[in-house]
Amino acid sequence: MATPVIMPRQGQSVESCIIAKWHKNKGDSVREGELLFSYETDKASFDEEAKASGVLLDVFFQEGDDVPCLTNVCVIGNPGESTAEFNPNAGAEAVAKPVEEKPAAVEAHAQEKSEEAFPVTAVEGDRIKISPRARNLAEKLSLDYRYAAASGPNGRIVEKDIITLKESGPVPTPAAKGEFAGQTMTGTGIGGRITTGDLNTVKVSDAAAMQPAQEAGPMFEEVKLTNIRKVIAKAMHHSISSTCQLTLNSSFDATDIMEFRKKLKDSKDRLGLENITLNDIILYAVSRTLMNHKDLNAHFLDDRMLYFRNVNLGVAVDTERGLMVPTVFNANHKSLNDIAREVKKLVKDCQSGNINPDLLKGGSFTVTNLGTLDIESFTPVLNPPQTAILGVNTIVQRAREVDGEIEFYPAMGLSLTFDHRALDGAPAARFLQELKHNLENFSVMLVK
Amino acid sequence: MPKSQYICPNEIRKSGWIKFTDIPVNQYSKTIEEEKANFSTEDFLRIYRDMTVIREFETMLNLIKTTNEYNGIQYNHPGPAHLSIGQEASVVGQAYILDKDDYIFGSHRSHGEILAKGLSAIEKLDDKELLEIMEKFFDGAILRVVEGKQKNKNDVKELAIDFLVYGTLAEIFARETGFHKGLGGSMHAFFTPFGIYPNNAIVGGSGDISVGAALYKKINKKKGIVIANIGDASMGCGPVWEGLCMATMDQYKQLWEGEYQGGLPYILNFFNNQYGMGGQTRGETMGYDMLARVGAGVNPEQMHAERIDGYNPLAVIDAMKRKKKILEEKRGPVLLDTITYRFTGHSPSDASSYRTKEEIEAWMEHDSLLTYRRELTKAGIAKDDKFEEILEATKELIAKVCKLAVDDNVSPRMNLVKNPNQIADLMFSNGRIEKMEDRECEVLMSKEENPRVQQISKKIRTGIQDGKPVPKNKVYQFRDAVFEALLDKFYTDPTLIAYGEENRDWGGAFAVYRGLTEALPYHRLFNSPISEGAIVGSAVGYGLCGGRVVVELMYCDFLGRAGDEIFNQLSKWQAMSAGVLKMPVVLRVSVGSKYGAQHSQDWTSLCAHIPGLKVVFPATPYDAKGLMNSALIGTDPVIFFESQRLYDIGEMFHLEGVPEGYYEVPIGEPDIKKQGKDLTILTVGATLYRALDAAKILEEKYGVSVEVIDARTIVPFNYDKVIQSVKKTGKILLSSDACERGSHLKDMAQTISEVAFDYLDAPPVVVGAKNWITPAYELEEYFFPQPDWIIDAVHEKIMPLKGHAAKNNFTVNEQLRINRLGV
Ligand SMILES: Cc1ncc(C[n+]2csc(CCOP(=O)(O)OP(=O)(O)O)c2C)c(N)n1
Ligand SMILES: [Mg+2]
Repeated sequence: MATPVIMPRQGQSVESCIIAKWHKNKGDSVREGELLFSYETDKASFDEEAKASGVLLDVFFQEGDDVPCLTNVCVIGNPGESTAEFNPNAGAEAVAKPVEEKPAAVEAHAQEKSEEAFPVTAVEGDRIKISPRARNLAEKLSLDYRYAAASGPNGRIVEKDIITLKESGPVPTPAAKGEFAGQTMTGTGIGGRITTGDLNTVKVSDAAAMQPAQEAGPMFEEVKLTNIRKVIAKAMHHSISSTCQLTLNSSFDATDIMEFRKKLKDSKDRLGLENITLNDIILYAVSRTLMNHKDLNAHFLDDRMLYFRNVNLGVAVDTERGLMVPTVFNANHKSLNDIAREVKKLVKDCQSGNINPDLLKGGSFTVTNLGTLDIESFTPVLNPPQTAILGVNTIVQRAREVDGEIEFYPAMGLSLTFDHRALDGAPAARFLQELKHNLENFSVMLVK
Repeated sequence: MPKSQYICPNEIRKSGWIKFTDIPVNQYSKTIEEEKANFSTEDFLRIYRDMTVIREFETMLNLIKTTNEYNGIQYNHPGPAHLSIGQEASVVGQAYILDKDDYIFGSHRSHGEILAKGLSAIEKLDDKELLEIMEKFFDGAILRVVEGKQKNKNDVKELAIDFLVYGTLAEIFARETGFHKGLGGSMHAFFTPFGIYPNNAIVGGSGDISVGAALYKKINKKKGIVIANIGDASMGCGPVWEGLCMATMDQYKQLWEGEYQGGLPYILNFFNNQYGMGGQTRGETMGYDMLARVGAGVNPEQMHAERIDGYNPLAVIDAMKRKKKILEEKRGPVLLDTITYRFTGHSPSDASSYRTKEEIEAWMEHDSLLTYRRELTKAGIAKDDKFEEILEATKELIAKVCKLAVDDNVSPRMNLVKNPNQIADLMFSNGRIEKMEDRECEVLMSKEENPRVQQISKKIRTGIQDGKPVPKNKVYQFRDAVFEALLDKFYTDPTLIAYGEENRDWGGAFAVYRGLTEALPYHRLFNSPISEGAIVGSAVGYGLCGGRVVVELMYCDFLGRAGDEIFNQLSKWQAMSAGVLKMPVVLRVSVGSKYGAQHSQDWTSLCAHIPGLKVVFPATPYDAKGLMNSALIGTDPVIFFESQRLYDIGEMFHLEGVPEGYYEVPIGEPDIKKQGKDLTILTVGATLYRALDAAKILEEKYGVSVEVIDARTIVPFNYDKVIQSVKKTGKILLSSDACERGSHLKDMAQTISEVAFDYLDAPPVVVGAKNWITPAYELEEYFFPQPDWIIDAVHEKIMPLKGHAAKNNFTVNEQLRINRLGV
């Protein structure tokens, strides 16, 4: 009997996955346990092994196709067996239409649009009132309908308002500029209809789609973006365009933590703590310090703040596929060793692409470290709706005057980006100051 | 109200007495010995055989209903089975002398009638006729099931009996091999080739339909008589009384002419089993004491009423012979009170809590199967073993047929998975038949001589000439358009008849029929009693027999009076017969105004809700004539709404004039009456003109270009033009004079929302009449949609109009408020 292979569902929030690579071709024979295909969600990639032996009778999707979870992807069976009944593309059209995924991380940001930018009349709660016709026209003209002045009944944006918007030109705010121009959208509504949800979530133009149709020029190589790249692009741009972020720079004397780390290394055989890194130490310090600065351990949601009772620490991880930010939940309750071990595992999973998508969200504060790459100072990009992110820099020797003498000490840079909408400069600076103090007196802090 | 009949005050005011003659009650008293002159031994025994077939058939159903088993055959039948065990002699006696050209109509309790009439027809038809009937019916589908299963392979009658019993049972069991593919079922089984016409689950439903069948026979000079078999309790049903009145109109004898003069070939027979369901008609729920008495109140002939003993088949045969003769002498109709009794309950779930065991047992002692057999044995007609042999053969027959009917392989049900449209395709016959029969049309003068035709020829056939409206007395009006279409058909289709209240002489309450009286003999155009139920019900009977008919309800508000006839009968028989019957009936319904709460309602939505009706509502002379022509060439029931506001209106859209010749406007196609690009207004009926007024204001004052579409038809409805328009304008308002709640416009708005959602710039908005009673004419502007309502609704819900100040409250809050209050 022919066996269909479905696209597995990875995590609750994942609705579809992209087939990254076929390891077998139609007609190949497959043994149970052999690699069939690799696929990726917006956050991670996975391998699918064959669960039956036989011949790969039919393949319903190609590399790069976005396949709804639980849809039949291919069929394994004996030569000659029929596969038509498994073909999701046959029959009801609805099945064949891949559902455009709604990346969960971005979904959460949907609420963050600034109300001030919209004509007040058109908004009810966080819904914009717009007729289907007007919405369609806006899409066709690639206009951000949020800038249309509503003239319909009950503050509804109607077709006429989009035409007016087009004639007067959309408001050229940074948000409007890149965010909507030339964007093609895929609807998640029935029959591919674009729902408000889509418009609110899909905010970044698809670079590939923006390319004018052209013969492949010899000047460059055109490579389609991976799903993860697209999501990162969206998230980054959303961050910059929808928040008021700025960065404070500072540094601290790393003598204490370096000595502490050296001790751990030396204690290798006795304690098994030799793998604790400077970064882990910083994460630990951050998790403790944040408890005194709730504005920085929070989500800013336009009209309200969510203050987290615990610290869910996002840790930026560089992987082959791009940036990933897994979360250490309740870091403030975890020991240094626990944090170090957990981070290690998260990094490994991210790099191998096997990270559970549910661990890629829920952070209340993020730490990103470019110090290993010799960066002395930078402006980390916020991960909204989080209100702050800490960048960790490399250690440089810095001179200072002590009792009339010049002495050198290892200075480690800290770059704190925060959202000025959520808090002001002084409280952010105070956090940085306390963190600096804690790190410079880390051994004391550990005892507290 | 013919002028020929002088109503003389001296005569009317004279004193005197109404005299009644005695009504016979169970007067039959012949012995078998005496009857030997009339019946052969075979005849006597066939009567017995027919009774046993019914008894065994009903016993089988009773067992299946109550024990899920008959003779080892397991079956569960969830549907109805109203049995007539105990009533066999009455039905066999009646059917005995009927031919296949004699039609019977029945009730929910008519299995016995079907079998008796079928067996009688089989006896009378020759083998060739029988084979042809069986071969032609559904291309022999039923025959294929039963053929080859007979003891004597050459016995066509045996085959035909199997066919009859099987077709009936398969129908009861909802099998596709039933007489109506299982769409009728127990209470609606029938088989027209044997003269068995629709049985009806509505008590008394056959009471008026059958009158139409009798009219069909009489007017089209068809052989045979028509019998309505209904129950004693149905005498309490309005439609039965209405049918009675229509069946006994004086005009048949006094005004109809030539060979058409004389009474209807019609017997209204009550199988009087003494009960409704549980209500006892004599002594409890009725006052007639003996039902036959009612005949005395209907006409001077007392309807030749008689009470006969339905427990003796020979008594029934005797009466039927005498009554049939009366009908042949055109002295009908006849009322029969055939007494009988059912041993089983009303239905198998009946606990018989309303009667005693002693009563049932006493009647069982009179069981006709026992008494008749005893009499025959006593008279030496046959010995016991002969009767046993008959009983044995009957049991075999019923067992054989039952086995076939429960077998899903030979008797499948409709496969709605494989053929999802099988029932849908039967809802309308969508035929085009110019004339239902090909023969001379009986008319009294040529069309050209007709005074109305001559008058119309002087009229201007367009409403606007040289940019100016044509004066009312010169313009070709809406009523002229309906008249022209009808007149034309009267000269094409010889079966076409028209009747209703004040149709003749008066010319219809709104002068549509003026000129028809001169053109047509009485039997083609006549006045009916004020019996809206029977007007429509008889039209159903006339139509399903194969005649074309146009009937009229003077006011839409009277539609409730014909509720069952429109909603259960006119609409359903085509599909319930699985396409065997056609329904070429046009019901003209005039929608009033000015006369207040019970004379001004637009009930198109009620009709639109009922599956199986075509519903049209033209608003212009051009559309009226074209749609009437389409209705009159079709084979489906069409409810043809006309607005009394529009009878005198001229043609404002086809300015080249309404064509004199024949043309059709397709049913189901809306019409764009005015082009526009910013807003669509869809109207039904007379509201069109108010919408056009609104459009003018919108255009001139607010610069909104309006497209106005006239629905013309409500069911069926092709949305293409409307959707195209909405794609263009993005906005639509719908308006009609129907009360807004439950208006069909809401249905249309919903459909448009679904189909054109992505093109809509505002929700479709419905402007209907208030959910109130219609007030007096002087206050109508506050009740029916007006141009300023339309504009206000546009302003409030679709597109705010610059500088517009609304006078009427079309806000959402008001909408919610009136809904909350139900007004
Ligand atoms: C209009 C209508 N009302 C009520 C019923 C429910 N009903 C079915 S049969 C019946 C009794 C009819 O009695 P009768 O006409 O004497 O016929 P019988 O059942 O005795 O043969 C009733 C009330 C119905 N089918 N139709
Ligand atoms: Mg009865």
